[in-house]
Amino acid sequence: MKPSLRPSFTRPWPCIASNFSTFFFQLPTPLTHARNITQIRHRHIHSSPSPPPPPQLASSPPPLLPLFLRPPEYTTTVSDLLEWHSWAKSLAASIGSSFEDSDNGPDSTLLCRELNWLMEDVLDGSDPSLMHKAVARDDPDTIISLKADVQELYSLWKQRIDERRPFQYIVGCQHWRDLILCVREGVLIPRPETEIIVELVGDVISKDEGLREGLWADLGTGSGAIAIGIAKILGNYGRVIATDLNPVAVQVASFNVERYSLQDKIEVREGSWWEPLKGVEGKVAGLVSNPPYIPSDDISGLQAEVGRHEPRLALDGGAEGMDDLLHLCNGAASMLKPGGFFAFETNGEKQCKFLVDYMQNQLPGSFCNVNTVSDFAGILRFVTGFRNR
Amino acid sequence: MQNMPAIFLRSRIRSSSHSPNCALRTFSIRSLFSSATPSTSQYEVPKPSRIRSCGFVAGSCSRLGAGWVRHLEEALGKSSCPVRFGGLRLFAAQPTIEPATSDGLTVEGIISNQWTILEESESDWKSHAAAIAQSISLIKRRLQWKKMLVRLELLSTQLDKLDLWDDPQHAGKISREHGNLMGKMKEVMEFEQELLEHIDMIKLAREDNDADLESESLKALLRMRRFSKEKELEALLAGEHDSCSCFIEVQAGAGGTESMDWAAMVMNMYKMWAQHRGYGVTVVDEMPGEIAGIKRATIKVDGEYAFGYAKAEVGVHRLVRISPFDSNKRRHTSFAAVAVIPILGEGFSHVQINESDLRIERFRAGGAGGQHVNTTESAVRIVHIPTGVTATCQNERSQHQNKASAMAVLQSRLDQLEMARQAQMNAQHTQSLTEISWGNQIRSYVLHPYRMVKDLRTNYEVSDPDSVLEGDLDGFILSYLSDLMDKDEASP
Ligand SMILES: C[S@@+](CC[C@H](N)C(=O)[O-])C[C@H]1O[C@@H](n2cnc3c(N)ncnc32)[C@H](O)[C@@H]1O
Repeated sequence: MKPSLRPSFTRPWPCIASNFSTFFFQLPTPLTHARNITQIRHRHIHSSPSPPPPPQLASSPPPLLPLFLRPPEYTTTVSDLLEWHSWAKSLAASIGSSFEDSDNGPDSTLLCRELNWLMEDVLDGSDPSLMHKAVARDDPDTIISLKADVQELYSLWKQRIDERRPFQYIVGCQHWRDLILCVREGVLIPRPETEIIVELVGDVISKDEGLREGLWADLGTGSGAIAIGIAKILGNYGRVIATDLNPVAVQVASFNVERYSLQDKIEVREGSWWEPLKGVEGKVAGLVSNPPYIPSDDISGLQAEVGRHEPRLALDGGAEGMDDLLHLCNGAASMLKPGGFFAFETNGEKQCKFLVDYMQNQLPGSFCNVNTVSDFAGILRFVTGFRNR
Repeated sequence: MQNMPAIFLRSRIRSSSHSPNCALRTFSIRSLFSSATPSTSQYEVPKPSRIRSCGFVAGSCSRLGAGWVRHLEEALGKSSCPVRFGGLRLFAAQPTIEPATSDGLTVEGIISNQWTILEESESDWKSHAAAIAQSISLIKRRLQWKKMLVRLELLSTQLDKLDLWDDPQHAGKISREHGNLMGKMKEVMEFEQELLEHIDMIKLAREDNDADLESESLKALLRMRRFSKEKELEALLAGEHDSCSCFIEVQAGAGGTESMDWAAMVMNMYKMWAQHRGYGVTVVDEMPGEIAGIKRATIKVDGEYAFGYAKAEVGVHRLVRISPFDSNKRRHTSFAAVAVIPILGEGFSHVQINESDLRIERFRAGGAGGQHVNTTESAVRIVHIPTGVTATCQNERSQHQNKASAMAVLQSRLDQLEMARQAQMNAQHTQSLTEISWGNQIRSYVLHPYRMVKDLRTNYEVSDPDSVLEGDLDGFILSYLSDLMDKDEASP
């Protein structure tokens, strides 16, 4: 499947709403494989093997809404739900550690926990003691209401196991920090490591009022995770621009922003890296990004949940995985105001060290206090620093 | 992804009708997905449905009770003006303030008259009055009335000191405690006063041959009588930490799958009990058994008086049944240990935790991490290095939340340790799971060869184990608490 070459979709802000729906219908190819490659050199997407196409789910379309936000409009008997549950549980148990052994995927213990969460989301709001009581009283015909049809639950769990569809796409949300972010195919599921970026920003703004009150930018915002995390810790101060090239991400991020009533604080803009920031050059107090950083050749070997289901546009960082990171480093100095802060997530030690060296030696005088920060697994994960005053 | 267009088309149609200026903003899709603001429901704990009434006065009685309060307040100063409360010393020493009817009958007097207490349905004012007087006396005993008076006097003396507010934090603590204590005592005294005023009314009505007034007052007494039963129970929960939320922990004893299944049944019993009472229940930590059940688990029970009730459950619970896991259908005995930890609210002092004393271990996705890995595993374990106390949480769905939950458990464990050190509480309640001795059996659940649940401390028993295992525990809890309190007060 070849990526389509398409123009950048940057538009003036107010037009987005009116263009949105028609725009979605016109997408020529799945967005997962679309990539604006015009502005990034040395990328050989064509030569790297494409991941298998996303599974056809035509028989049971994916939910329009995250499960937990759907109205409980289905009913079933406790016995039918439990029958599904024990079927699902034994399916999970049959996996053992085979996924783990093959590509570091989930083992049955984790799948069982996911099953509990799925139950939690599908029962959300209904009285959980009703279930217990029905079981204890041996009254299998008790009716309970659900947010999805039992048939749909069967097909969702089949997708989880057989197709390795990520759990977060199944339920339509990811719990991240103290947020519940809606996600769906086409948008990267935010990772726990990335929670640290918000913490780093928290540290910086607690020491510098000026940065706290300034303009922040989250480039490649995906579900909006980092932008929303930052907006919340900025409190009554500051403002955030969140950008993404992928219109699905722009949609989902906007939805999440609205769900947290942050639409007055976060502006979601569509476009490639610096384009949507036109007009604020030299004014940005803080710049954060978790850009695609996986080397193209590694994509085919990824864990099935990632490689087969998450958008390539969000993962593939070119031959060395550094295309986007370098692009960001090169532009950061002119975008940041003097004393402004940046934090980028990287693939690990190699990229971190390269970038620190690059910023110090290839961009001399632009930045100060350039540092690397480890994630909780002890892997060097982030590069941070400040624009020289 | 193939459904994206549909959703966003819908969103546009709906949002344009909802929000006229949607063209200016991006798009108002909130209306499509949910009318609600972000659901923090997972983290928010529903309040117990039954809100405890804070007044002691039922229904129409309040009008009558008010007079006595005024009397008390005049004698002792307004409750909102704690500094003048030194006067309550008078109350302790001088019987003149003890409420009485116009002809000098007091609650003590009613009790010593030994009027026969008949069924509630009998319209006999003396029977009602005697029942209420007994309740009042029981409530006072449970509240440890004499100790309360001593404490109140001590606090009043402190509040009288001129330099009190030099240390505002201390002063705040004193005046809060004084206010609380005063509030509790006032409730009882109002109730007492009400009883006596109704008796006055009945006597008056009889003198005047006013049948309406008599039956009114009789009804009021009946209401008070019913209400006093409730208050007797509430008086059981007057301990310093009783009003707190709590963690309940269950651990399986030796014996493999059968006892892990039992531990899961016990945990389920508490979940259902808590839900019935309207408490919020969240699973914090759970170590599942290989085949069935749990090795151990911790739940958080959120709501007023959760600790006060649950503390009655601390100890070892024993099950006798034909094990469904035994192919030879033999009878098995298994054990599960239960510990309960109060979650001290804002008003309490907490053990200070230094970040540097903590080792925080998080689940590490193997391999490269970051964008390479998508896992829902986000367990966090926190070790408090100086004490070796640990807390684990893996049931939340984000690492951040798991850490917050584990921190909350750790804080409560350290607070509990500190309380045990200060021996402020009944020693048994402060035991952690590791300290509970398997010999300390408190209750036995027999499903075979006969069916019965029996509390070994109180001998309270029930012949329907199913209802108990479904969370119908109040009988056990209340009988234990009243035993404990009534014994406590009896011993000098
Ligand atoms: C690894 S994901 C990060 C998403 C989100 N910030 C997070 O941490 O969960 C990278 C994001 O960058 C976006 N992206 C890729 N190329 C881009 C470009 N040229 N301009 C802007 N965003 C881009 C992708 O669509 C994707 O949402």
